[in-house]
Order: sequence, then C-alpha cells, then structure tokens
Amino acid sequence: MKRFRTLLLSALFAFAPAFAAEKSDDEVNARKVALDLAGAFSNDGFKLRDGHWNGSLAPGKGAVIQVNLFAGNEYWFSLGATTKAKKVSVSIFDETGKPIEYEPYQEGASAAAGFAPDASGPYLIKVEELEGEPSVFCLLYSYK
Amino acid sequence: MIRSNLLAGGLAILSLSAFAVGAEETGLAVAANPLGKAEIDAAARTDALSIPTPGELLAALGKLGKLDWTSKFRAPIATSFPSRAQMALNLGGLIADGYIAVEAEDAQQVKNLGKDILALGKNLGVSKEILDRGKSLTEFADNKQWDVLKEELEATQNEVKEAMERNKDPDLVRLVTLGGWIRGTEVLSGWVSEHYTEAGAKLLRQPGIVGFLSSGVEALPEKIRSENCVKKTQAKLKEIEAAVSFPRETPPTQASIKQLHQLSADLMKDLARKDPK
Repeated sequence: MKRFRTLLLSALFAFAPAFAAEKSDDEVNARKVALDLAGAFSNDGFKLRDGHWNGSLAPGKGAVIQVNLFAGNEYWFSLGATTKAKKVSVSIFDETGKPIEYEPYQEGASAAAGFAPDASGPYLIKVEELEGEPSVFCLLYSYK
Repeated sequence: MIRSNLLAGGLAILSLSAFAVGAEETGLAVAANPLGKAEIDAAARTDALSIPTPGELLAALGKLGKLDWTSKFRAPIATSFPSRAQMALNLGGLIADGYIAVEAEDAQQVKNLGKDILALGKNLGVSKEILDRGKSLTEFADNKQWDVLKEELEATQNEVKEAMERNKDPDLVRLVTLGGWIRGTEVLSGWVSEHYTEAGAKLLRQPGIVGFLSSGVEALPEKIRSENCVKKTQAKLKEIEAAVSFPRETPPTQASIKQLHQLSADLMKDLARKDPK
C-alpha cells in the first residue's frame, strides 16, 4: 500500500511540468508543501482527499472556504504556501462563523488544523499568512 | 476530539525531514475572532473541496455499525441515454455504486460497475481518460485491494470531471457530482431509516451540500435546465433540501428519513429510465 502511494506521489511530481501549462509553478510548489505535510497524517490512517484549493495570500489578507464534514470522522486540513510566506495558519469555524477548537500545527510556510466535528454540516476553514510577502497557497484535507 | 498524540505522531514522522525542523506544538487552539458576515458570504465553495467524497460519507457511516452493503446494490442501469445531462447524472450514480461495491468487497460487482462506468464515459466522450482507470479497477478488484480501489474510484471521478472541463463541458461536472450525491443520500437514508439512531440521523444534515448543488443547477444554461431529467431533479432537490436542512442538535425522525429515502430512491429510478417521467 505504502509502495503504491509512493508511486502515486512520484508520478504526480514526475508529471508536474506537464501540469505547469495549466497550473503555475507557484501552485505546484504550494501543493507539494501541502502534500508533504498531509503525508504525515496518511501514516496514521488518514486518507488524503483527491482535491485541493489554490489561491493567493498576503499578510492581513486571508481566504475562507466552506467544507461539509461528517460527525464521527476525523479531519486534518493541511496548508502549504510558497516560500515567500514566512508564517501561515489554518483555523476552523462553524457555519455561523464561530471559532471552533482544533489541534494546530505550524511551521513556516505550512500549517495544519486537526478536528473531529460533533455535528455534521458546513464548516468554514480560514487560511492566513501571518508573516512574509504575498504568496500562493494550497489547501487540502485528509479524513478517517 | 482527535487524540493529542496523533499530532505528535505526525510530527515525529515529519521530523525525519528537514522540512519540520523547528515545528511548534501546542495544545488546542481557537481563532481569536469569529468570522464576519462578509467573510462567510465570500467563502469559496468548490466541487473539489466543498463537496465530500462518497468515501468520506461511507467512512462516517461505517462507524455506526456493520452494514450489509450488498443489500444496497441496485439492478444494472442502461449505459446510454437520450441526453448528455442524463448520462452525466447517471455516471455520478454509477461511481457511487462503485464505492458501495468496494465496501461490500464484491470483486465481480466492482468489475461490472467499472465496465458500466467506462461505457457511459465513452458515450460522454471521456472514455480515453478513464480507460486505464477501468483496467486498474479490474486488476485491483481481482487482487481484492479494497483500500486502493477506493482511491482509484476517487481518482476516476476526478479524471472524468477534469476531462469534462477540458472538453468544455463544465456543466456536466456539476451533474456528475449531483448524481453521485443523490445516490449516496438514497443509500444513507435507507440504512438510517432501517437502523434508526440519532447519531445516524444527524449524518443526514447536509444543507451546505444541497445548497451548493442547487445553485449549480440554477446556474446551468437554459438549454440544459429545460431538459426533462434536469427539471425533475431540480424540483426534487428542493424537497430533499428541506429534509437535510435541520438544526444541528435536532435530528430528523425515522418517518422523515423514510420520506427522504423514498424521495431520493424515486429520483434515482426515474433518472435511470430512458425517458424520465
């Protein structure tokens, strides 16, 4: 299984130049950072969802996405940004915008938030750049 | 809440690379300020991240108890329909069937569905992209690699959607997602109505998903929206939306879940007819 995942990741990066026509280098690089981070959770049984969200960040200018989660599952949201970002963060809110407690991880241009919802429904994930210059980010998530 | 040692475990793995040097670990965190209305209204909603995969739903459902997945199989459906919209809706349903077959660990059913997905994809002009996936679905099914099959199905669904985007058929992407979600709702509501618990009933709370899908249908070009299968789906979606938009702490009754099951099952049956009523 791990071999298969490794092959998949290798193939993804091997074909990265082919994607470049559609995805910018920055988007590919940000995704690589996010995938590296999410890989840690895969080792603990989390399945990486095959989907991601790219966008731009700058200090003081965050971005929010709605996700729909199921009670009973556990989730990790992994954020990767290009190296111009020196410090980024991920935080979680319920559908009304109320902050929700999560397990944080932060290291330079990557960050993650772990969370097990007690109610199914919409949640809001906010990504922010706390320090650095304008950058490109990629958010993805894992579940189990 | 997720076990706190999980993060430590993840970080231990990360620390093997230079990537994690200097990582910080703290206890639970919470944002200092709530989101404002403008931020909530402007929140992105994307097919790729805002709509959960069938795998996520099945993972949550599997925690409620052991399910007899084979009882959720349905009879084979046609792989050719009068309109592309109807084909897209049914393709989504077939992919959801694929997840059910994998949960049931039924290799023959996976292979049968793989063939049907390929045939329907061919009629939609995306067979080239999923041909290799079809082969790997068969190979993994023969080898009973169920976890890998789940990943393959998710990848297949995404490749079909990417091919549709490339073929300038983005409208069909929404319909594939919609078809898969309706079939998932049919299965989930059917199981919960037969084995009612409050925890199971709460899984059906999905106002964000149905809202996103409804707005996607409303945004379709008039030509597609006026098709019989889409009009029918749009009308039923309003009823389904009401059924899955209950308050967080108030699960629906068993009777209302049965009604939801009937709604979604009737819609799937209707969509699988050559000429939807």
